[in-house]
Amino acid sequence: MQNQDISDYCIEQLLKAGADKAQCIYSSGEKKELNVDAGEFSLFRTNANHGISMMVIKDQKKGSLSINKIGKDDIDEAITTVLNMAKSSMADDAYDISEFQKAESFSKGDAEPALDMMYDRMEEFMEYSADTFPITIIEQAILDFTAGNSCYRNSNGVSYNEKEGSYSFSAMFTSKDGKDTSSFNSAGFSSLDINFPLHTGGSINRLLKESAEHVRTKVIPKKFTGDIIVTPDCIMSFMGFILGNLSDFRLIAGTSLFREHMNKQIIHESLSIHSKPLSDKLSGGYFVTSDGYKAEDLTIIDKGILQSFLLSLYGSKKTGLDKVPNSGGSLIIDTGDVPFEDMVQSVNEGILLSRFSGGSPSDNGDFSGVAKNSFYIKNGKVQYPISETMVSGNIIDMFQKVKHISSESVNFGDEIFPWIQLGGITVS
Amino acid sequence: MLNTDLNKFTSHFSAYTELRVQENRNNHISMVNGDVMGNSISSSSGVSSRVYKDGNWGFSSSPDLSDSAVEYVVKNASDNVMFMNRRQKEQCGFILPDISGHHEIDLSTQHIRNDQKQWIEFLRNIDDYIANKFSFLSSRTVVLSGLDMEKSLLTSSGSTSYSMTPRGIMYISLTMENNGEPVDLMDVFGGLGQLEDHFLDPSHFYNDIDILVAHLQKKSTGVYADAGLKDVILDADLAGILAHEAIGHTTEADLVLGGSVAGEFMGEQVASELVTLVDYANTIDEQVCPVPVYIDDEGTPSKDTVIIEDGSLKSFMHNKDSARHFDTKPTGNARAYAFSDEPLIRMRNTAIRPGKSSLDEMISSIDDGYYLMKSSNGQADSTSEFMFGVPLGYEIKGGKLGNAIKDTTISGVAFDVLKTIDMISSDMTWSAGGMCGKKQWIPVGMGGPAIKCKVNIGGR
Repeated sequence: MQNQDISDYCIEQLLKAGADKAQCIYSSGEKKELNVDAGEFSLFRTNANHGISMMVIKDQKKGSLSINKIGKDDIDEAITTVLNMAKSSMADDAYDISEFQKAESFSKGDAEPALDMMYDRMEEFMEYSADTFPITIIEQAILDFTAGNSCYRNSNGVSYNEKEGSYSFSAMFTSKDGKDTSSFNSAGFSSLDINFPLHTGGSINRLLKESAEHVRTKVIPKKFTGDIIVTPDCIMSFMGFILGNLSDFRLIAGTSLFREHMNKQIIHESLSIHSKPLSDKLSGGYFVTSDGYKAEDLTIIDKGILQSFLLSLYGSKKTGLDKVPNSGGSLIIDTGDVPFEDMVQSVNEGILLSRFSGGSPSDNGDFSGVAKNSFYIKNGKVQYPISETMVSGNIIDMFQKVKHISSESVNFGDEIFPWIQLGGITVS
Repeated sequence: MLNTDLNKFTSHFSAYTELRVQENRNNHISMVNGDVMGNSISSSSGVSSRVYKDGNWGFSSSPDLSDSAVEYVVKNASDNVMFMNRRQKEQCGFILPDISGHHEIDLSTQHIRNDQKQWIEFLRNIDDYIANKFSFLSSRTVVLSGLDMEKSLLTSSGSTSYSMTPRGIMYISLTMENNGEPVDLMDVFGGLGQLEDHFLDPSHFYNDIDILVAHLQKKSTGVYADAGLKDVILDADLAGILAHEAIGHTTEADLVLGGSVAGEFMGEQVASELVTLVDYANTIDEQVCPVPVYIDDEGTPSKDTVIIEDGSLKSFMHNKDSARHFDTKPTGNARAYAFSDEPLIRMRNTAIRPGKSSLDEMISSIDDGYYLMKSSNGQADSTSEFMFGVPLGYEIKGGKLGNAIKDTTISGVAFDVLKTIDMISSDMTWSAGGMCGKKQWIPVGMGGPAIKCKVNIGGR
């Protein structure tokens, strides 16, 4: 069977077997991956895979199943199993599938990788890092190309086909000079092509440079309350808590801090956050949501005011809040108007926070953790790399005390973030 | 099901070759405030081959298990290593240690298998108990999760193995409000075995739930920990994550080659003489560990790796390639999560060996400190500097337990912290659901005795 035939067959058979509503996604693809370990080429990996995910609703009871076997007997067995799972479950009026939309096909990226170019780019990266940062060891670097097709179908007649191919690069590194060792750090990005040196992607070159500077660190002079400048690499360590409070689980469980805050100010007015899966600036977006809607770009928070929750169809029906045709991710935070250098100059005492190693925040947003790969700032200048330094505060309070947002930003392929300067943070 | 003879494919081997057939099966049911939010099963199966030649690896995998697909995967892995060899010739002549072994183990449950309806009834019973007895809770989440990992392996060195290693877990997460602010606490139950091996009678967990709620109530009126370097007792959960994250990872040979600080410490005193830290292969004191490994995914028979003995750093964990590099023997630590994953150096069951003290003796020895019971998450790096979230702990004042504390964080440099250990409890407890992320996620065993040491604790 062809790709779309498998999805169509599943829907047809699920309905014949008694499903009231059904959804099926068939996907197939191949990944080619080059690996470097401890500074040496080590592995070339090829993974082929395919899979079928089914969801059925019977008497408002739901079952879900996924397999990676596509023989007719395997599919028929899976159809029987998933229907029995639904029958065994508990009814919930919120279970549903997306309503009819016009059939569409989407594609982006190449179908096949430029394999020799992948090797050449990796070799160029290794030579660059060895020449420019000789004390930095590339613990692991991975460059892969993943191409795939997926076919979404449901029993309301929704039919979407997607075809994508993209590159992804990540590197993990440590610097070592004699017995002095830096903390490890990592960086990465995704892209539709590799027509540029890998070290120029995302924030890789900056973090390699900072790693080499971090082999000898100091502790801060004493505990203080001051500013932190959160780098683009570190923002999701805190922003994830805000977004988690806007998503299914917390809103359904009743533990979201923002349930009653639609159209109200929840963070500082200088912050605007968007989810733009269709943006041309992002290689890692998507066209179809996991619950069967054609994806749309949206603004989550505009000038600090909550504009949209990130609810699935189930989450929306369960909570009575609006559903948006978007599965989150593909985040873009608007840049500000202060150059990074001016931002540093405005700090009396603080730290440049490049990586945060913290415990899961409390449900109220309290957090504490270690500032990793970070620098002490005093009198408007970056002074020295730090270790054994803790930062603590409350995430919501913190994002209500934004001082500056940088005019520069970093495009990671999946998201675009600026530097954000926040005040009133305890550093010890 | 996948216990299959792969020898018929050896004629397609052209160099050192591993051939693995594997299926992972998951069952996941989640209930939030009495509603079934997730009810899913999944399986992922296929074949992979990895070929080593002249210092490079080629790898290929396919979900198709037909003979022709297996033959294609072996050929494709060989083609991939040839591509690497063509581009890179510096490592020509490298040869891996020649080791082989044979083992079969099937840890499938001996109970009659439950169907999905029975598992949903089990969860509903647990949820009803919580909802009826503790109506002041603002949110309840109960999750059942099963993972079966079944694999057959053949290597060109002559190793064969079959294993079916299951894990069955239940998570309970509860939230209550105090002065309008949510406070939560979670616990995990289960471990090695299928769901039927742990969760046939929900009433067996009522007492555990009562204890969890009692801790949550105390935590809801808890105090902020006083920040600074403190005497603490790390209970098994935290001692286990310290052993795994902060010490274990730095002694994985691939991370040593990547620059970890442990590379400088071999043979040196890195901990108190009370400390012996072991990555157990499969058994401790005749008890099977949470993640027993008898032959690893490179076909090496697994042996315990004594990482620290009486405070002295003794050994790193190796796969075949790192053993070649360090001119030592592989330790059986090469493990892959999915059929499509290559084996990496992974810990198995990592713990500090129990000592001679009782927990009561340890608590009474502290005048001003903390008894820290659970970890929410943990991270460490190549310097052994670590950070662990602590969602449950109590003050110790004058040798007695005091107020509960709010969520906090502990941090330090593990090789320094180990030197401050002056008491280790005589008991041994494994955490139920340890997972480790390192390119691939994989189940691991973490746990141990309680240890008394000094760490930095975060305040407000």
